Amino acid sequence: MMNDLAIVTKLMFKEKRDIVLSIFFGFVAGLATVFLFAASGYLISKAALAAPIYALALLIASVKMLSFIRAFSKYGERYFSHRATFTVLSNLRVSFFEKLEPLAPGIFQKYRSGDLLSRIVGDVESLQNYFLRVFYPPIVLVLVFLCTILFTSFFSLFAAILLFVGLILTTFVIPGLFALKQRKIDSHVRTHRGSLSTEVAEFLHGFRDLKIYQKLQGKEEMLEKSSDLYIEQQEMENKAILFSQSVNIFVTLFITWSILAMGAYFIGMGELDGIFLAMLVMISITVFEDASPMAVFPIYFNDTKRAANRLFSVVSDTEKGQKNNDLQQMNLKEIPDIEMRDVQFAFPGDMRKTLDNISLHLPAGSKTAIVGASGSGKSTVMQLLLNIYAVDKGEICFDNIPLTQVEQESIWEKANVVLQSNHFFYGTIRDNLLLANTTLADEALKEVLEKVHLDSFDLDDPVYERGENLSGGEKQRLAIARALLKNKKLWFLDEPTSSIDAITEKKIYDHIFQQAKDDTLVLISHRLTGMENMDQIIVMDHGKIVESGTYEELLHLRGYFYEMKEIEKNLL
Amino acid sequence: MTSLKAYMLTKKKSLTIMLLLSILIGVMIVAQAYLLVTIIDGVFLQKQSFSEVLPLLGGLLFVFFLRTLFSYLSGRTGVKLGAQAKSFFRKALLKKYSRNPLQASLQGQSGQKVSMMMDAVDEMDSYFSSYIPQVIRSAFIPILILVIVFMEHVNTGLIMLITSPFIPIFMIIIGLQTKKKSEEQMDKLGEFSGRFLDTLQGLVTLKIFGQAKRQVELIKESSLGFRDATMEILKIAFTSSFMLELISMLSIGIVALEVALQLIIFDGITFYTAFLVLILTPEYYTGLKDLGSAFHNGQTSIGAAKKVMQELQQEEQAVEWGTEDLASHQPPQISIQQAGFSYGDEQFSLHGIQADIEPRANVAIVGKSGSGKTTLLHLLAGLLPVSEGKVYVNGKELPAYKEEEWFNQLSYISQHPYIFAGTISDNIAIGANKSVTRTEIKQAAEQAGIAEMINMLKDGYDTQIGEGGRGLSGGEMQRVALARAFLKRPSVIFFDEPTTGLDVHTEKVLQTSMEKLSERATVITVAHRLHTIKKADIILYLENGRLKAFGKHDNLLQTVPDYRRMVSLQQEGEA
Repeated sequence: MMNDLAIVTKLMFKEKRDIVLSIFFGFVAGLATVFLFAASGYLISKAALAAPIYALALLIASVKMLSFIRAFSKYGERYFSHRATFTVLSNLRVSFFEKLEPLAPGIFQKYRSGDLLSRIVGDVESLQNYFLRVFYPPIVLVLVFLCTILFTSFFSLFAAILLFVGLILTTFVIPGLFALKQRKIDSHVRTHRGSLSTEVAEFLHGFRDLKIYQKLQGKEEMLEKSSDLYIEQQEMENKAILFSQSVNIFVTLFITWSILAMGAYFIGMGELDGIFLAMLVMISITVFEDASPMAVFPIYFNDTKRAANRLFSVVSDTEKGQKNNDLQQMNLKEIPDIEMRDVQFAFPGDMRKTLDNISLHLPAGSKTAIVGASGSGKSTVMQLLLNIYAVDKGEICFDNIPLTQVEQESIWEKANVVLQSNHFFYGTIRDNLLLANTTLADEALKEVLEKVHLDSFDLDDPVYERGENLSGGEKQRLAIARALLKNKKLWFLDEPTSSIDAITEKKIYDHIFQQAKDDTLVLISHRLTGMENMDQIIVMDHGKIVESGTYEELLHLRGYFYEMKEIEKNLL
Repeated sequence: MTSLKAYMLTKKKSLTIMLLLSILIGVMIVAQAYLLVTIIDGVFLQKQSFSEVLPLLGGLLFVFFLRTLFSYLSGRTGVKLGAQAKSFFRKALLKKYSRNPLQASLQGQSGQKVSMMMDAVDEMDSYFSSYIPQVIRSAFIPILILVIVFMEHVNTGLIMLITSPFIPIFMIIIGLQTKKKSEEQMDKLGEFSGRFLDTLQGLVTLKIFGQAKRQVELIKESSLGFRDATMEILKIAFTSSFMLELISMLSIGIVALEVALQLIIFDGITFYTAFLVLILTPEYYTGLKDLGSAFHNGQTSIGAAKKVMQELQQEEQAVEWGTEDLASHQPPQISIQQAGFSYGDEQFSLHGIQADIEPRANVAIVGKSGSGKTTLLHLLAGLLPVSEGKVYVNGKELPAYKEEEWFNQLSYISQHPYIFAGTISDNIAIGANKSVTRTEIKQAAEQAGIAEMINMLKDGYDTQIGEGGRGLSGGEMQRVALARAFLKRPSVIFFDEPTTGLDVHTEKVLQTSMEKLSERATVITVAHRLHTIKKADIILYLENGRLKAFGKHDNLLQTVPDYRRMVSLQQEGEA
């Protein structure tokens, strides 16, 4: 597997110009600072020796100029490095999306909880530290150091060597040692955070049951203990950081001290001109100022590495999950004959099969209802029919062509789908309806809104992310409107009206069935109303088909369906 | 403890230590400057030999060491303060939530509470571990340096004094200008990452409608648009640091110029003083700048601290339990007298509930969704306090009893029973308030109609379930909850009937189990099933938080039109 940070680095190098400019300005700013303080040290020494006034004027002028250069380059460095960072983030989002897109929707079976996606968004954002704090600062630091060392070597070779030793110690050795220690602490922090977060979630979500079963106090104690352990680990981590930083600072101070001591010695020996001593000491103090943050470099490095790993592990199945490319774009009939034979399916990690030996036949133009309790597997049947997931065993055929040979898109293209949870995007009602067909005129959209009893909506009404400003029933009706607008001959409807009242529901169904008169239609429902018109009803329980037939047949049978009907009559 | 200030006052000792260490660090900075200058002056101008300055060199190394040591110790104090504060505030939140059911999970939004207890508390750390120490240090050290510089060379002191106000003034001016803009930008940032999330979450929909490929351009466009907007804000921020940098650099330059001129033209000062001043000046401006950036960087942790404080200051609505004993395993007589509850001003409230419940009675609470059924159930179960009226149990007010005695008597089976991380056996055993044998657990599972399913699992009763019961269906969770109740043998059962989606088997189990359980208990049900309602000795019909009618089913059908309409709605849809 390719190193994930390498992928990020590759994406980053698309922004060569900004990277080069950031490093350039960072380098100039760093060097200007060093020279600024070197010049002031030299200036003051020179002044002490009653130098000619023009020499001083020159020095003073250069000090001023260096201050300007420094402030200006800092500005440039900040500007370009941030611009590069945000551009890289944009590239990263696009690249990630391009990788994720072919894997959807199958990939979502692995991550059925929604928080994976929000974590992805967070990970992308935390990768902004990669360029800003991991990638370019060490480059700038080393460049500035090397130039400073070169400059210093003209005055004192020993000082130059000491600076070099300091560079190695503060930038490589001490952070390296810290990284070794950090790895262990970090994994402890993570484990304890995990267990605390489980405790907190159980405490809050299970509060009522804990209270009534008198387990609240025990849970509180466990939570407190867990919190203390976690905090203890965090404290250890913080102390380790602090220690590493302090050691680093002391090393830089020690190098400065050595330069001073060595200078004093050589001046005494007559091998170094005393006028340079102040300058050398000032150089040493200044050049190490940017080195001390290096002590915590491993933290940023590990954070970004972890974010990159997580991000790309999601899409790393690309190779093996990818369908073979030799799938021909199947020319399916508008209204195919669909068959499912002995299908088995289990979600990865679940202890039981979701579907067990399912066989069913949907003749062209037929209307089928699949009913059953929640968790009976009825939605999974539809997802398999839509080729969203692949079957574990058995076969699904459209006109006798196995789905494994058909591109997913060629089925979706021909189907009007309403899923159990339908997504609505930030934008307007119009935007969300046009998803079905971008060429539709407003009149057509309005007409459909009327059919689903949403004529109170204006096409320009705003829709928030995930349709947050819409009620459950409104979302369902909009989803039905989208399906009606798509106007294909194959219908897959998964509990499309569960949040709509019975009377409106009936009216909407009338529209659907009118439009779908000659089409194949599959309706998943936990309500048993309107079943009289279906050609067949398939009753599911715990992943198996327990009964099937027409409404009359099933009622006559007095079996599972009949009982479901009785229970429903009984419900308020 | 509801304010940060009040909390800080309890940490006087740590704060004193930090202040002391800051003073020591300041002293070390000054001592370091003196020693450096003395040594360089000695070697460079006084032509002292190496051995002459050796003691001073030794002293300087020691000062370097002490400076690092004191910084380290000050940092450690901060880290410890942070750890203590996190522990304290997390526990405070825990106490608050556990005493105050409304704030915990009954009101929903528990995801937000989880993040409050985890992230917000963690973010508070840097307030104590870096913000406070930095402020103490930055407030003290520049003053010390200023005093020393004044003592050594008044002119430089004056330059510092005149130039330094520009730094805070500039920060304030720029801060005011950018604050609003950057807040807007923060909102935009939130919105923007929300959009990206929106697209990812809607990927299935996009693909099914064949629109996914088109999104790439949109993501790119909006990312870059966002970058440009952010850069506008950052440019202002960078300009402000540019100006600050310039001010401090120019000030240092002026100082350097002044001392150089003094040194060479007027001969007013010695190299010694000039060099000392030159070393101390940058430390002074760095201190001031750090103070500014401390305020800036502290914003996140201050924000987090504020959030936690607000949560802690929320008004409590807790049940205060008493010390009375309750006769055990005898279904009590419950009497509700004009009871009510309010979630807060202009929020939902329940009023004037009036009913007498005989031991072993079957009570059904009926009403549309949002009419207050669950709130009433919580009131009667003692999970929420009554804010008006009274609930009497065996003639005494409910909260007069010992909390554990009351809860020992009751079971509460909700629509979504919580399954804890652990084995199935653990999850059933939670029902009993004592240790139970495997046989008892099996028996309870048998009675709840879930034994068959458990026996089919590879690990049987030792199968790990949990994190909200992953791997169990809704019906199975219901039956685990029933098994808990069978183990407990309660004398009062509160039951929130599941609305839909149960399989036929669970429906049957539910019905027979409830009958069995109710033989020796009072049952109060939020009812969605007609047979429960028909069987009920008394029905409480709620509408908009008020008791609209009560009585038996047939009675209500005849006398209350709204009730009749509600009951027949289902059948109407079918017509």
